[in-house]
Amino acid sequence: MGFLYAIQPGLDQIHPDGPLREAAYSRHLEYFNTNPYFSPIVMGVILQLEERFSRGEIAEDIIHDTKEGLMTACAAVGDGFFWGAWRPFVAVVALALAFGNYLVTPIVFLVLYNIPPLYFRFRGVFWGYRLGTDVIRLLRRFQIQRARLALRYATIAMLCYLIPNHVNLHTPVLIANLPMEWFYIGEKLIQGLGASVLVGLAAVGYRAKIDVLMISFLLMLSALVLYHWGILI
Amino acid sequence: MNSLLTSAFIVALIGGVVDLDSTATWQFMISQPIVAAPLTGLFLGLSAGDLGAGLKLGLIVGAILQLVWIEQLPLGMNVPPDAALSSVLSVALGFLAGHQYATYVEREVCSTIALLLSVALGLLGRSLDMFVRRINTSISQWAELRLEEGKTWAPAYGHAAGGVCTFTKAFLFCFLVVLIGVEPLRYFTESLNFVQNTGFIVIQGLLPAVGFAVLASMCIQSRREFRFFLGGIAIFTVLPASIWLGLPLALVTGWVFTRSANGAA
Repeated sequence: MGFLYAIQPGLDQIHPDGPLREAAYSRHLEYFNTNPYFSPIVMGVILQLEERFSRGEIAEDIIHDTKEGLMTACAAVGDGFFWGAWRPFVAVVALALAFGNYLVTPIVFLVLYNIPPLYFRFRGVFWGYRLGTDVIRLLRRFQIQRARLALRYATIAMLCYLIPNHVNLHTPVLIANLPMEWFYIGEKLIQGLGASVLVGLAAVGYRAKIDVLMISFLLMLSALVLYHWGILI
Repeated sequence: MNSLLTSAFIVALIGGVVDLDSTATWQFMISQPIVAAPLTGLFLGLSAGDLGAGLKLGLIVGAILQLVWIEQLPLGMNVPPDAALSSVLSVALGFLAGHQYATYVEREVCSTIALLLSVALGLLGRSLDMFVRRINTSISQWAELRLEEGKTWAPAYGHAAGGVCTFTKAFLFCFLVVLIGVEPLRYFTESLNFVQNTGFIVIQGLLPAVGFAVLASMCIQSRREFRFFLGGIAIFTVLPASIWLGLPLALVTGWVFTRSANGAA
């Protein structure tokens, strides 16, 4: 129904009032689900197809088949890029800013994140309408796979910055045993090592399909126990 | 009681608006914890006269919750736990229960417990979300029937009705939770002693590790990337913890490694 709502003005312009328009409406009330930033592309293609159908150039079931094919293709590409690469990357950048106590973090996150979505959403309708099903070839020019790889490396790199610096691990052992000059580097080493061990354990647990919430719970329990023994402060 | 009602109302408004972005409309990502939590902190801080504390609490809670929920992706039909509502409510409970305490420790305890509760609230929010989706399906069928009778305004109204349903659900949920949740939280905090309080602070410092681990698992998909990761950690362990050094260095090394990588993702 949302899809119909979006293209209703277009359909009203293409088909004259009457049974043709109602047939068009009922065509687009079916199930529709794809990546939200790519749905304008599908809408543009469908509008072009509806126009060609009203001129009698193509058959009716082509519209349905194309919609279904595009739906899944756009969902695969869009979900993989946006949810898999872009949002995690912008999220780690925002996290680095947040842990550094910068209050502009949410605004930075919103502005930075929304640049590709708004671009695809706005231009997508025009691409779809002008190119029809050739729009897939246009999408290929964006080298989304390569972009995903680059974003993955960048996210990992940001994680390398975050993990040694923002997991708060302190041991009283150091204060007791090290002379003052070595304290800073010793503290950093302990924190880096401890954080890596912790993150490694949690990752192993995650790979072993233990639920994230259960891992958090176990972490908290062990933290409380270690705290009680005085190893952790 | 009056100020609690006003705060509950504000939180419910924010919760309603933010939840619309979650899957129903917009998708501008204001439903992400890292935006929704500081937003709540901002407005609650404004209404309580303590803007800085509200924002700071919102930021930290937002960061931690973002990490906890980072693996929840709305892939296809998947309905993730409601991170938006859980972050709004976590900040609300933590701030309203905690900001009157003079000591730092007790405020932190309130916020940590609120964090833990918020996870449960997120799961509850998901059940409510599924309920609203079922209502949306029947709205869709109603719109279809009206269209067959020739009323072309039906999709527009149905579309808006779906949005109204989502907003109302979030509004009521947030309002009720804030009204009934603040007092028990305060009572629980007062019943703990100092040692246990600082224990909570330790936990809060360690929680990000889980999120980092999940994100690392998601992103590292080859041996090369794993070696890159280990090397990166080693380097950043000895470098000073400045973001202006870390961010550019991280991005540049990431870019360099991508250029020299062979093959696609």
